[in-house]
Amino acid sequence: MAKAMLIDVTKCMGCRGCQVACKEWNDLPAETTACLGCYDNPENLSPITWNRVEFYEYEQNGQVNWFFRPVRCMHCLDAPCVRVCPTGALYKHELGFTAYDESLCNGCGYCTQFCPFDVPRLKETTFLGKGKSSKCTFCQDRVPAGQVPACAKTCPPEAIQFGEREELMEKAQARLAYLHNGAPRPFPEAVLYNPSGVGGTAMMYILPENNPGRFNLPKDPSGAVANVWQKIIQPLGEVALGATVLGVIAAFFVTRRNIRMEEVE
Amino acid sequence: MTVRLKGTERDVVTIRWIPKYTAMERLGHWLHTATFVPLAITGLILYVPLLQSLAQGQAGYFIRLVHRITAVLFGLLPILYLIIEPRRFIMSIREFLFDKDDIGWVMNAFSYYLLGRHTAMPPQGRFNTGEKMNGLIMCATWVALGVTGLVMWFGKGAVSAGFFQWMVLIHDLAMIAAVCMFLVHLFLAVAHPLMWAGLVSMRFGVTSAAYAAEHHAKWYYGPKRARQLYEEAKKKAAS
Repeated sequence: MAKAMLIDVTKCMGCRGCQVACKEWNDLPAETTACLGCYDNPENLSPITWNRVEFYEYEQNGQVNWFFRPVRCMHCLDAPCVRVCPTGALYKHELGFTAYDESLCNGCGYCTQFCPFDVPRLKETTFLGKGKSSKCTFCQDRVPAGQVPACAKTCPPEAIQFGEREELMEKAQARLAYLHNGAPRPFPEAVLYNPSGVGGTAMMYILPENNPGRFNLPKDPSGAVANVWQKIIQPLGEVALGATVLGVIAAFFVTRRNIRMEEVE
Repeated sequence: MTVRLKGTERDVVTIRWIPKYTAMERLGHWLHTATFVPLAITGLILYVPLLQSLAQGQAGYFIRLVHRITAVLFGLLPILYLIIEPRRFIMSIREFLFDKDDIGWVMNAFSYYLLGRHTAMPPQGRFNTGEKMNGLIMCATWVALGVTGLVMWFGKGAVSAGFFQWMVLIHDLAMIAAVCMFLVHLFLAVAHPLMWAGLVSMRFGVTSAAYAAEHHAKWYYGPKRARQLYEEAKKKAAS
């Protein structure tokens, strides 16, 4: 049942159609930007930019490489943001992606600090400075209705594919076999990026080489601290607080009984 | 002061009140309470899954705002007190230092507090060991909560995510220690039958001489005399 997207960096041609489709479907306004001296634009993800194409240009073995990657929420299957969200605004949808209910968010910003991919962005508010979080929702208002996410729907070279996660894994293996040998321009080191540290992701990438850092992706993303916090400290604290309350109540009755008896003596 | 109960001919209690806390100490203590409690409640709303619905949306916004406003007061209080009564502050810090009588207190705390046996209790200063432990935890967690809280408030984006994550963890651990200590402190202050005088002195600044002699002998008699009386009482109990 789990849905996923497979984004093939070797296919992406950097047209930014997904960026536009994302804005259009999610009703996100355009950003005022400046020329940054490279093709990246806008400069970074923001509360109104949930998807953004990054450009990578580098030389390798005497050959110039130029790749593009649409950057957005990775929809980790074991998502640290969901673990640390105190309101339940971020949650795992039954279809496998990380859904978001903005009305529940209180702007605490834990998700921005615990996301291994630095994806969620906080809106600005008066008083507290930082407001509600925002990020790619996997088109949570399209996918459960049986529709394809806006970015995948619009992608001209079909670099963004949407479907059942299992099927996409198979497609990825077939694609990798083709890229390793058989493609007109082979990528012998092409890999599938689906990091296990966060339980795998619903947003999977085919990278031209086994060097995630080159594409601004962490090599071993993990939610380790989020897990220590939520799986150890959280229950431990609840036990400690509960035990103290019960201990104090018990002590009250024991004391009252003993000290009364002492008075009787 | 002699108190004569209605309908009886004999004097029942003779109370001599002696000063224990200054007005500023008491004001500081109660303002600390008045900021600690809302901080703990608003913090626990984010912490306890059962209270999740209170943390959501606009309610959560409001709770975060209250948490921060009270946090500022909570953080400034001890500093303000240090400015207003610096000599008293340093004196109190000295009185909070642990000594070997504190070990004896810990050994006897169980039978003392639960069974009401106070004969074996070593003499205590103006603050007993429990109050010292409370003070130590409150000071340590004041520093920990303040530092980590400031990072969590102003450090988003400025410090690395990994550092921020550990700050959140330490904030939680400090909160657990502080709230557990607070609960025990609250119990002893308002509900423990033997400790009524503590609440009286924190409200009115005075304590009865009889209570001070029994519970804070080193403060009431001075360390030498208190030790002497303690040894005599022990001998008497043994024979």
